[in-house]
Amino acid sequence: MKTIALSLIALTVLAVSARGDFEKANQEFAAGDYKAAVADYEAEVSSGRWSPNLFYNLGNAYFHAGDVGRTILNYERALQIEPRHPEAQTNLQIAREQSRGLEITRAPLEKYLGGVGTSTLAMAAAVCFWLAVILLIVRRRAATMAAGIAVFVLSAVCAWAAWTLESDTRGAAIVVADNAQARVATADTARSVLALPPGSEVVILQERGDWNYAALPNDQRGWIAARAAEKVRL
Amino acid sequence: MFEGMHTLRRIGLLLVIAAFQSARAESPSITAVLTSSETTLGRPVQLEIKVTGASGVTAPPRIEADGLDIRYTGESQNFVMRNFQTSASVTLNYTIMPMQTGTFTIPPQTVKAGNNALRTPELTLRVVDAPNRGAGRNRAPPGNAAPVDQGKLAFAELLVPKKSAYLGETIPVVVRVGFISQARLDAMEPPHIDGQGFTVQKLSDEERNLETIGGRSYTVRSFKTAISAARIGTLQIGPVEMKAAVLVPRRPTTQRMPFDPFDGDDPFANPFFSDPFGAFLERREVTIKSDPVTLEVKALPPGAPAGFSGAVGNFSMTADANPKRVQVGDPITIKAEITGRGNFDRVNAPGLSDENGWHTYPPTANFKQDDDVGISGAKTFDVVVSPNEVKPALPPLAFTYFDPVKEKYVTLKTNAVPLTVQGNALPSPSAAMAAVPSATATPSSRSRDILQPIAERGKIASTFAPLWLRREFWLAQLVPLALVLAFLAWKVRNARASNRAARRVAALRRESDELLRKLRRDELSPQQYFSDASRLVQLKTALKENVEPATVDAESAARAFALDEERREQLRRLFATSDELRYSGSVNGAVAPERRREALALVESLS
Repeated sequence: MKTIALSLIALTVLAVSARGDFEKANQEFAAGDYKAAVADYEAEVSSGRWSPNLFYNLGNAYFHAGDVGRTILNYERALQIEPRHPEAQTNLQIAREQSRGLEITRAPLEKYLGGVGTSTLAMAAAVCFWLAVILLIVRRRAATMAAGIAVFVLSAVCAWAAWTLESDTRGAAIVVADNAQARVATADTARSVLALPPGSEVVILQERGDWNYAALPNDQRGWIAARAAEKVRL
Repeated sequence: MFEGMHTLRRIGLLLVIAAFQSARAESPSITAVLTSSETTLGRPVQLEIKVTGASGVTAPPRIEADGLDIRYTGESQNFVMRNFQTSASVTLNYTIMPMQTGTFTIPPQTVKAGNNALRTPELTLRVVDAPNRGAGRNRAPPGNAAPVDQGKLAFAELLVPKKSAYLGETIPVVVRVGFISQARLDAMEPPHIDGQGFTVQKLSDEERNLETIGGRSYTVRSFKTAISAARIGTLQIGPVEMKAAVLVPRRPTTQRMPFDPFDGDDPFANPFFSDPFGAFLERREVTIKSDPVTLEVKALPPGAPAGFSGAVGNFSMTADANPKRVQVGDPITIKAEITGRGNFDRVNAPGLSDENGWHTYPPTANFKQDDDVGISGAKTFDVVVSPNEVKPALPPLAFTYFDPVKEKYVTLKTNAVPLTVQGNALPSPSAAMAAVPSATATPSSRSRDILQPIAERGKIASTFAPLWLRREFWLAQLVPLALVLAFLAWKVRNARASNRAARRVAALRRESDELLRKLRRDELSPQQYFSDASRLVQLKTALKENVEPATVDAESAARAFALDEERREQLRRLFATSDELRYSGSVNGAVAPERRREALALVESLS
């Protein structure tokens, strides 16, 4: 009994402390102390209690602190959790315009699917799958059978779209370092393939020690220093 | 089932909407370009008027311009589908033959496209005297191209239409590589233009033509590109050099035998007989090199206007702004389009001629080229501005470029757009902030530029992993799985129940048929006969009403078959006789044969 009571007290203290850090960071932001706000928001991120609004606020704090790479990174993180976060979408667009970072060109369909998000697509695939199963079990008429097959195909399309989108975004990363260069080999002296301004998008394909092999915005490949870019997914 | 049909209808509707979206017509636009802004006397130039996003295009039959003979040569249509976006365009082609030297203006033309009347920009063509007119070749030598060596298997030439250009000016260049038509090209490196002090655009896809040069037929491959001078002075463009492998016919063997019966005309001396698999062709590797071309690059004249960003060419500008009724601080989107010919990479968004009282956001740009190398086209800008105070109109937009033909800076200005701006003026920024240039904006000045933080933390998400990699997703699937399994169990149970009922009905029918046969044979004792007859009535009633046969009496059977009073009485007598015979072994009075017939008839009539 005593142990349970102590655990409850500890959990309550942790919860209050976590809420306190977020609110404290908001107050620091309002007071214009952006560096302190960044530190407190980052502490919240380290605690693992993530939310779209936390990453959005952290992006705002980095924006005012002048770190445009991490600004874009955190807006992207907010949108990974909630693809239709309107404030994050708006501020991301503004930050991108200011950063002059390079973006990976995506097909219109991929852009649209990115707005829908893998979770929604997976949910749609599951719902369509079960609906198709029910229709195929009932199949009293040919029309029911046809509808069952059509819904099953739709389920497969949603699953494929979710898988494709996941494959494309799994290694997505944002360049956060100044003067980052993609190079042909894992050495600072190797020939440069592309200069990557902060906020540029890359897709990490392979990690090797202090270097990552990445797909670059101009459809090329190159090695970038691991510290130069951070993955969107934690 | 209805849900399924509904889903099908929705899918169909979505497909129709997607098809409509992809085939949606874009707003019509027009561009007019010359293949070269400078030519020599007697050398024709092509005028291409391109109408995009419209149908029913009517070409101006004749274009009048002093000193130029302009004739319509036909039209071509182009339909492109890229990334599910479609675009259709019609290109009207004219050939311009210069009649005299000088600088000529081709006036704006009105082209009807459906219900729209589109207007082309004014174009300028400079005609100089041809330095080498009357050269003895089958075709006119192209500008300052190097002459072709008539004895070669292949040749390359670099056509640069100008001898002098301004810094940053984009000049179209054509690389022509010709192979004698009897030869077959086996492999060829892409042409590369050597030289320093200029940038080269990507080469276009090749165009192939058959030409007769100096009496010999050549297959000529033309590659279009554009160069842009990056420093002033005399630049050497080229040479263009590449390696190629061609297959040429073998020469027949000329070695004579001591005793030649054919007198040097031996049919077996043909190379086919010495190398049948190599046939008649021989592979030769050739290095093709053109002569370099000299280009004099001049600096842009001093005194460039303040908004000049390095654009060199010939451009026109249109713009519109929406919405036109706003509150102070509300955004207004200006859509500006700059069309023409020049170095579009240096064409920046036009600015407000008077920025006082306006806040301008960074613009977005989109370039759509009209040719293979990106010299001509249309660049559109979305510029968002917001008024900081009440304003009567949006100030004119200004765009400055250098015109290399007129050799002067030109500033294009749009008309002011009348606006209705309501509300009070926003507080003006502090003097310190106003002094800071926008490129080095301080954090506090940036605060207006992005949306503010959100006070609520929102829902917690402990992972970035996709939904299907989370345990709760698969746990949630147990619910529909359980429902489906329950539904299947219910269906199996129903099927079994219907099977039992069917078996019971079949047994009753079999018994009923057997009893009827016995009654018809009339070989039974009276007791057995009436017992079977009453049982048969019970069976028929049970089959009709789906009840247990033992529970059927005369009244319930009569009700089930809706018998009239006479037959009802017959039925009562039948059951009474059966009971009497079963319980006492006899009846009051003898059982006459008519009673048996009456019972049989009654039983047979029940259906």
